[in-house]
Amino acid sequence: MTGRSTDIAAFANRELGLDDVRAYLEAPVSDDEREQTIALIQWFTRRYPTPLERLAYVRRAYARWRPNAS
Amino acid sequence: MEHEEFAEIAFFRAIQEAGARALLIGRRALVLLGLPVLTADYDFWIAIEDIAIFNDAAAKSDLHPTVEPDTARRRGRYVLKNDEHVDVLVARSVTTVDGIDVAFETVWPRRRTIALTPETELHIPHLDDLILTKRFAARPKDLEDVRLLTILKSASNT
Repeated sequence: MTGRSTDIAAFANRELGLDDVRAYLEAPVSDDEREQTIALIQWFTRRYPTPLERLAYVRRAYARWRPNAS
Repeated sequence: MEHEEFAEIAFFRAIQEAGARALLIGRRALVLLGLPVLTADYDFWIAIEDIAIFNDAAAKSDLHPTVEPDTARRRGRYVLKNDEHVDVLVARSVTTVDGIDVAFETVWPRRRTIALTPETELHIPHLDDLILTKRFAARPKDLEDVRLLTILKSASNT
């Protein structure tokens, strides 16, 4: 990985304190966030209707992403 | 073995045929449920008594543990590796970051079974339990996944 992607990974994988965790978990889901997430799920499950197709998609997506990270 | 060539289905089928009590957790479980999230690794939570049969099944896919079973039991987790990376949780119970105790023996009977092919099934935790497993760590990406799963759950209930 590049330095930048390493930094991003480290940021995403950092451990939060309990107060930050509670803030994450207790933050209400907005209507917009809910609608966007449901739209994403609907797109994904229509495009890849079976669990097997979904797993294959993720492997392809990761393979596409990985060369870009190096 | 190249990443693209990893025989994922054969790996899952070997676990099934071995009879290991193994739950797929982590982001691949989210993917199975219909959430398009990116992940490189496989994450399993297995019965602590089933380390040997799980490892034997994984060995058929050329995946090998980084530590001996006794060490894995002591640590509560270990890794299976080749060019793939499989994180294996073997704790009898794990406490979430906000203090909820989650026991494998409670989660296993509530599991959801997903058919990948007519011959291959995978087990994942019940949605409520999957959400709890995402609270084992205090990483932002896990907490983001909690939000996604919570929305999925609310959409499933409507």
